[in-house]
Amino acid sequence: MNNNIDVLIIGAGPAGVAAGIGAKKEGAQNVVVLERDWDLGGILQQCIHPGFGLRTFKEELTGPEYMHRFIQQAHEVGVEFRTNTMVFQIDKESNTVWTMNKERGIEALNPKAIVLTMGCRERPLGAIRIPGTRPSGIYTAGTAQRFVNMEGYMPGKRAVILGSGDIGLIMARRMIWEGAEVEGVYEVMSWPGGLRRNIAQCLDDYGIPFHLKTTVTKIHGQDRLEGVTVAQVDDHMTPIKGTERFIECDTLLLAIGLIPENELSRMAGIEIHKVTGGPVVNDLLQTTNPAVFAAGNVVIVYDLVDNVSDEGLIAGANAAKFALGRIPKDAKRIPVKGGENVRLYSPQFVTGEADTTIFMRVTHPIEQACKVFAEPGLYSQRLRYARPGEMNEVKIKAEQIRNLPDLSEIVIDIQPV
Amino acid sequence: MNYDIVIIGSGITGASIARELSRYKLNIAVLDKASELPAGASRANSSMIHGGFDDKPGTAKAKFCVPGNKLWHKLKDELDVHIDECGSFVCAFNDDEIKHLELLLSQGKANGAPGVEIVSGDELRKREPNVSPEIVAALWSPEAAIINNFEAVNAMIESAQINGAKLFLETQVTGLLFDDKGGIRGVATNKGDFTAPIVINAGGTHAGEIASWAGDSSFKIIPTKGEYFLLDRVAGTFVTSFLFSCPSKAGKGITVLRTAEGNLMAGPTATEQEDPEDRATTPEGLAEVLKGARKLVPNFPVNMNITTFAGVRANTESGDFEIRALTKPRGFINAAGIKSPGFTSSPAIAQYIAELIREELSDRVKLTPNEKFIPERRNVPRFLYLNMDERKKLAEKDPAYAQIVCRCETVTEGQVIEAIRRGARTITAVKMMTRAGTGRCQGGFCCPRVAEILSRELNIPLEEITRHGGGSKLLVGKTKEFLLNKEGK
Amino acid sequence: MSEERKFICVSCPLGCGLTVSLNDSGEVVKVEGNTCPRGESYARSEVKDPRRVFASTVRVKGGKLPVCPIRSKTPAPKGKLFEIAEEVAKLEVNAPLKIGQVLIHNVCGTDVDIVASRDLAAV
Repeated sequence: MNNNIDVLIIGAGPAGVAAGIGAKKEGAQNVVVLERDWDLGGILQQCIHPGFGLRTFKEELTGPEYMHRFIQQAHEVGVEFRTNTMVFQIDKESNTVWTMNKERGIEALNPKAIVLTMGCRERPLGAIRIPGTRPSGIYTAGTAQRFVNMEGYMPGKRAVILGSGDIGLIMARRMIWEGAEVEGVYEVMSWPGGLRRNIAQCLDDYGIPFHLKTTVTKIHGQDRLEGVTVAQVDDHMTPIKGTERFIECDTLLLAIGLIPENELSRMAGIEIHKVTGGPVVNDLLQTTNPAVFAAGNVVIVYDLVDNVSDEGLIAGANAAKFALGRIPKDAKRIPVKGGENVRLYSPQFVTGEADTTIFMRVTHPIEQACKVFAEPGLYSQRLRYARPGEMNEVKIKAEQIRNLPDLSEIVIDIQPV
Repeated sequence: MNYDIVIIGSGITGASIARELSRYKLNIAVLDKASELPAGASRANSSMIHGGFDDKPGTAKAKFCVPGNKLWHKLKDELDVHIDECGSFVCAFNDDEIKHLELLLSQGKANGAPGVEIVSGDELRKREPNVSPEIVAALWSPEAAIINNFEAVNAMIESAQINGAKLFLETQVTGLLFDDKGGIRGVATNKGDFTAPIVINAGGTHAGEIASWAGDSSFKIIPTKGEYFLLDRVAGTFVTSFLFSCPSKAGKGITVLRTAEGNLMAGPTATEQEDPEDRATTPEGLAEVLKGARKLVPNFPVNMNITTFAGVRANTESGDFEIRALTKPRGFINAAGIKSPGFTSSPAIAQYIAELIREELSDRVKLTPNEKFIPERRNVPRFLYLNMDERKKLAEKDPAYAQIVCRCETVTEGQVIEAIRRGARTITAVKMMTRAGTGRCQGGFCCPRVAEILSRELNIPLEEITRHGGGSKLLVGKTKEFLLNKEGK
Repeated sequence: MSEERKFICVSCPLGCGLTVSLNDSGEVVKVEGNTCPRGESYARSEVKDPRRVFASTVRVKGGKLPVCPIRSKTPAPKGKLFEIAEEVAKLEVNAPLKIGQVLIHNVCGTDVDIVASRDLAAV
């Protein structure tokens, strides 16, 4: 009875909802999106600040508003949603998807194609190995955001924020608006992790100090956090002796990066890229398991939800094509290589079956005019700057690939001009 | 409150003693100041069931380690505790260290440790391809194993409770009570007096201080910090057994191991300190661990680290366990200085304590066998390790098993509720009993959910839920109320 | 006295650095650094009447969630944000709520409405 699903999508965040729409629009009959929460929308339901969807909707929406529009559209085109349903295993050979739900118990689904849209998670404290004690009051910014925005609880009275990812900046302002204090934001790198406008409207507006090349070097407190020691770091990110400063606080919020969430992908035997942390994909957003597609932050962590939704639409449409037998089995597999200052990029392979956008990030900021390009002669665009916190794009048309039958690799790079 | 036996401390030593004594018709009270178990050194250690070659013949450690090892191999089924019977290697990098292996080999033989032998570096690398090419030989101990220490302590104390022992958490002993004949009469605590003709001091790093209250200054506890790295289970294929360095004076040296649950782990340091409660990790300690780990396993994947932690062990000046019944005050028994191989030895120590009571203190307490003693105890179901049919059955019986709470370790709501039924009151207690929060996101996902379930099941407000008891509340109040009640408003 | 002021434009994720030149009477004579017309109007507003969208939550009775996200329908005067935060904190509404539903008209006399920013079903 469960074996007539054409496209099964795992996760009803922005990528998953868009994938559902994409799959239906491409002609797939039974398109089912599974969501572990009671509600659709994923993490965007707790991102209640405006700043989403300017490109798609020409206005800035809050997270819930943005999702509302996509969910409505998904309902209109006939996407089926199953909430409170968590996928806990995908079998390698059969692609059987195991789900659990309190009413339906444990079920096995065997769809014709799968789209992975599980999103990402926040890097925890352990990832950066700060010495000291382990009291309560240390949260990732997203966990604090859930407490404040979804459950109505205050995680603390006086916060220090470590890392300058956007969620951390947004939470700084959010804590202030709820009456808490934010002592400062500390970033170990010499450039901010989040967008400049968030530094302006979340920190500068409220006089919250922002410290670059500074990090937390010790955690204090047995039961509840009592304070942190911060110190400046040198060019090797080693704390500089003599710059240590104790800060009294009861809360430490971490905004130290996001990691694609790929437990299920690993179970499914899909190759995970060492740098992106997401599945290796081609321009159809097809993983190394041909029946499995992936889109959004599960593949590579994006800056803008508009990109996540776009990629969801593409992955959903291609999964539908796969289910309908319309993806050529002998498609090309031209590798994409990154130049010296390219830290990560996706997709890693191009088939040339469709126009594609390659998303990339630089390793080091280039604070001058530069050029993003794809060789041989596929794309070139001037930029005013290139920064690790802001993704860059390379656009390649299917026709360009078709016109180069001997193309053996594509090299993307960003260089000053 | 009157008991036959009061046990101070419910680490693996106290818990094992409680369980052993629950074989007899006794009223037993086990007291621990912590809000969840295990708390002290039993929580933060190498989780090693030692092979028995490391202890000088004739010491208490040597006396208890091999029998303890044998008992654990049996207890794992009886108490339903995860043990990875993987064996251990002591790695030698040069001729001097090979000499040390030979010493260990002879000690192992004298101590009755089965199957201990020296193998070549290449043989080691066949089993453990990621170890250093510079290792020239290794001492193999097939009976060594790695235990889930969180489960083991809870299993022991639960088994004791099943058989009638009473556990009192958040109960701190503040003094001893004496009778008019100079014997022990019980203990005073923050929760009142617990009287008993026998008091067993299994107070870990505080055992020296407690013994001094009884007038016993025959030993001194030297709190010794050990720091560790714990890595993602994805890294758990790097090493599949327990790897020791050759020991130095400070301790057994840095080890690298795969935990019973499949995480890669490295540690410990051995830093002596004054404060028995200082469990803060340090830059120096972590650097030492990393250096030691990389010596054994050059590509030690530290980028997959998920947490660092430290435990404080109860080292002694003698370097040996301090286990005896005092003649004055009568009724006071020390089970102190239980550090490595303490976890291994604990079931054997517990048997010895029963023997001490039978032989030296029968005038105070008589050991009459409890015919109703139930040796078996089952763990909270481990959803992660069940096969699909077992999972389906569980979920059909109780829908709470069809709801994942901790996605890293695949822990269900049913498990969390079961842990609460067994006494969990804090986030950490649930973690110890179910592993929720031990995975790569370290509770980022499950902590709010576990807090909600605790709040619901125990019918207490969410803002009262603590991480680990005391003042470790997760939240400071409700939004809006917080803003409106702010000072100056 | 003429003056130059610098802002980061918050109108879109680009975050252009804006330089605004003012004349002696405080009027904007030139905006530089913007890459679109939104930047120009942001700069002019930022000099005269800085505004921000306020986004928070309100307490809800009988809803699927104990709080519901809200926003100011249009940008509100920056200087009034804390006052608005308090007004919103005092409010408690009954579920269900519809996205866009006005919860406070003309909050703090700003002519700005506070609206629910999601649907929230009753339990």
